[in-house]
Order: sequence, then structure tokens, then C-alpha cells
Amino acid sequence: MFTRLLRPASDPGFLDLVLRLTLLEILMRPMGFLAIRASLLLIAALGLLVPKVLRVPLTWLFLCALIAWQLIDAWPLPDNHIYLLCYWCLAIFLALLSIQTRQVLAQNSRFLLAFTFLFAVLWKGFLSPDYLDGRFFRVTLLQDERFAHTAMLFGGLTEAQLLENREYLFPLPEGAELLTPPRLVEPAALKHLAIIFTWTGLLLEIAIAAVLLLPLPDRLKIIRHLFLLGFCILAYAFAPVAGFGWLVLVLGLTQCAPNQRKLQISYVVIFMLVLLYSEIPWTEILWAIRA
Amino acid sequence: MGKHFKRIAYCLPAILLVIVAIHQIYLARAAFLSPWKGGGFGMFSSTELGAARTIRVFVSAPERSEELQIPDSLAEGAQKVAIFPSNSLLQHFAKQVVSRERRKDRPVEVVRVEVWRIRFDVRSLQPQPEKLCDYVYQVTKTGI
Repeated sequence: MFTRLLRPASDPGFLDLVLRLTLLEILMRPMGFLAIRASLLLIAALGLLVPKVLRVPLTWLFLCALIAWQLIDAWPLPDNHIYLLCYWCLAIFLALLSIQTRQVLAQNSRFLLAFTFLFAVLWKGFLSPDYLDGRFFRVTLLQDERFAHTAMLFGGLTEAQLLENREYLFPLPEGAELLTPPRLVEPAALKHLAIIFTWTGLLLEIAIAAVLLLPLPDRLKIIRHLFLLGFCILAYAFAPVAGFGWLVLVLGLTQCAPNQRKLQISYVVIFMLVLLYSEIPWTEILWAIRA
Repeated sequence: MGKHFKRIAYCLPAILLVIVAIHQIYLARAAFLSPWKGGGFGMFSSTELGAARTIRVFVSAPERSEELQIPDSLAEGAQKVAIFPSNSLLQHFAKQVVSRERRKDRPVEVVRVEVWRIRFDVRSLQPQPEKLCDYVYQVTKTGI
């Protein structure tokens, strides 16, 4: 059994790319306290440099265990994509042990993505009390610093109005009252932006969950990729969670057939695009140019 | 590596995902876990994160009763409690507060932790604080 854990999988073809991109994601978004962080970084770097380490099942078992340790140690603080990364490393480990590596990975990536989007839809559409009525994005656009330039650029707010709105959203201590209380300034453009974000996000997620869960004939499977790529292009231009975006792309890439070269390249290009989104504050630059 | 392994290999990760996500929904409904956390994929669905989840900590002893400003050393514990005010996390956090107070030679007999969330009015977005829990930790004479 142990020798099997150390035996590199026989040439998994373009899946090498999938494994490398997963390691790249771990390298670019390190996590955990010192021991976990150092171990993850070392294994990821080694895997990228040494092909044998990349394809050895034990590498992915270690990664899965380290990420699981981080989830338990920091619970409940870790973000959801850390959970997804943990399941994904487990899936890779199982796939590399299997003789049907590609099929096991493709099936796991499909269901992991499908259920991720299904639960996201469940929260947005049914469980959360403040998503469908637009409150979530109305508040987030004003309160979350990472959306500040988006709110000013596309929502028609000035910097002073944004600051006053933040004061407005901050509750006063019980019984306190201000002489001149802050006012909420919500231009029509900002309200529209919140509605667009609310419904575009939800409808895209419903569509992705549906096309991933439904059994599709081979000629229609391209729809899955188009939705996933479209989602990543749109969502991660604004959502400050590149780690999740990269993982979604890696899982989408895994479902490509070996001969779908153009599609595979598209995933890699969008992976780079999400990297650029995360490192270049484009809304801030546009805002500065406009100002 | 027979049929059983094949079945596990094909579906174990997705089964784990579903179990954790259903458990997260249960905790969010029954025990105020923030929708954003816990592996249920409720991120970007609710305002209940960051400034919308806060805690207040009060310590008291003979001739002392005050609200504490949360220091950096307790920030992570405070964040965990704000996100998930479970009894075990609250107790662990209260013990951290007691240890810190004792290190600073300050008497402490009772630690009270309040966890608050802010809801926003549908029309006006007026913030409406709502207390989620009020936890009282009594320090024993012998130890923490």
C-alpha cells in the first residue's frame, strides 16, 4: 500500500497542468500558522519543480491533511475556498491512486463545482434574509473598502458621500443621538449597480449549478465551460477573492477533454486574468484617471 | 483497490462537501454561525460579516466593573466568537480574557461577553443592532 502512495501516476497528460495550477494557487495564497504555512509552501514549490513529486499521491495526501489541519485549527475563520481546496486535494490524491485518473478527477471536479454553486444559490436565494431584496450589495458597496472604488466609479458617489454613508451605516451606542446625523446618499446609479450585481450573480450561479448537475450530451458540455469562464471573467473583476476564482477555473479545466486544446488555453488565460484582477486595482486606477 | 475504492474515489470529496455544507446551514440557523463561514458557501449572500458582527466584553470584580477594549492579542478569539458564538468558543475566549487580566495584575471575577449583529432596514438601510447572546463566565477561586 505504502509503495503505491509513493508511485507517481503514469503520464496524466494535460492533467499535469491542473496539478500545477492547483499548487500555484496554494503558493499565491498561503494560509495557516507557521508550521502549516511553511509545509504547504515547501510542498507546493517542490511539486512545481519536480514532476515526480507533482504526481505522487502522497504529496496530495499531505496537502489535504495540512489544509484540513488549518480548517480545524482556525475554525470557524477560514474562507469557503479553503474547504473546497481541501476536498480538491483529496480528490487528486484519490485520482492519482486510481487507474482512471482523468475520469476520477473530471467527475470529482464536476460534482464539487456543482454542489459549491448549488449551496451558494441556496444561501442567496432562500436562506439569507437580505440578499434578494438587494440589501447585501447596497450595504457592501458602501461599507466594504474593497468595493469603494467600484461604488464611486459606477455608482456616482463622491468620496465625501461614501464616508458619510459609512457613518450612517455604523450604529450609535444605545441612547446616543447626534446633533447633525449623517444622511444616506444613494444615487440612482448606485441602486442600479446593486440590483445588477444581485441578480447577475444569482442567475449565473443558478445556471452553473444547473448545467453541472444535469447530465448533458457531449456536444452540449461546452455550455458548462462557457458559463464557468463567463462567471470568472465577470465576478472576479469585482469580487476580491481570487483564490476562489482560481480554484473554480482549475476545476473547470479538469473537465476539458484531452483534445480540447483551445478550451484548456482559455482556462489558463482567464486564470492569468484573475491574477491581474487581484494584483492591479483597476477600478482605483480608472477612478484616479477620472478624478 | 476494488469496487469499493472506485466508489470512494468517485464521490468521497463531494459527499464531504455536502455533509459540511448541510452542517453549516444547521449551525447558521440554530447557533448564529455567520453565513459567510463554516464551509456552506454562503459568502457574498449576507451582510453578517466584518463590522456587522461585533462583540463587547465586560469584566467585573470587587470595586471594578468596566468594558474592555479588545487588544490585538485577543483579536482572533474575538473574531471567532463574533462569527460563531458557541458556548465552547465563548468560554475559551473568556478564559483568555481572564489570563490576560491576571497577567496585568488586575482583579477579575466575572467576564461577560455580548455578541451583536447589525441588521439593515430594507428601505432606509438604517442599522438595527440585535444582541445574539449574553454570555457570563464566573471565575473560580482556585483557577481560571
